[in-house]
Amino acid sequence: MSFNWTPDELQKIVDDNKIVLFMKGTPEQPQCGFSNRAASVLNQLKEPFVSVNILTDRRAIPSVCAWSDFPTMPQIFINGELIGGSDIALEMHESGELQQMISNNNSE
Amino acid sequence: MIYYTKNSIVTTDANALMVAEQWVVDEVLKVIPNAQVSATDLHKSGDHFHVRIISSDYEGVRPLQRQRPILSHFKSFISQNIVHALDLKCMTPEQASASGETIFDPHDGEVEFFGIHIRREKKE
Repeated sequence: MSFNWTPDELQKIVDDNKIVLFMKGTPEQPQCGFSNRAASVLNQLKEPFVSVNILTDRRAIPSVCAWSDFPTMPQIFINGELIGGSDIALEMHESGELQQMISNNNSE
Repeated sequence: MIYYTKNSIVTTDANALMVAEQWVVDEVLKVIPNAQVSATDLHKSGDHFHVRIISSDYEGVRPLQRQRPILSHFKSFISQNIVHALDLKCMTPEQASASGETIFDPHDGEVEFFGIHIRREKKE
């Protein structure tokens, strides 16, 4: 079955996975400094995450940006909710909010 | 606050528009007029900017909601690739006084992948 970057398909990814990172490249081989920063922040959380390489399909960036109403990459979703890009991820990591979000959800 | 005072929009022979730091500051001020804004052109390439925005309006507002109005204002510039990256730091005055240097340069560092710069394709 092919993946067509429809809102339903994208929504399913973030519903099925606690932490999702839409990024340029992969956490091992990021293709953009901001994606690299986002992946580094998530790597520091003691929690597995799913990453989606949006450079694999030219339909990906416009589809994801239209669906999330967020114009840039990377984009981080936690518990199905858009957190923001790498600037917000770093800020919330430094303040401890990111870890707290994940721990709170675990204890529920 | 130190601003760059280049011309606001510079046309390059690469047939692309380059925008300057002051232009970014002015555009952000259209969205949040009472803020203290400074912008840094990370590579002097006219398309990667780090922007510090300090406003008391941000009290009690979550990080994504702080950015939303600015991002939606810049949406068309981003989709036309006039602005390639906006790294935003939206702070309350208290947060600003507690924070030091906030500039992050994605292409400045020892990691080799940092040097790769992929531009969004313009077609379709």
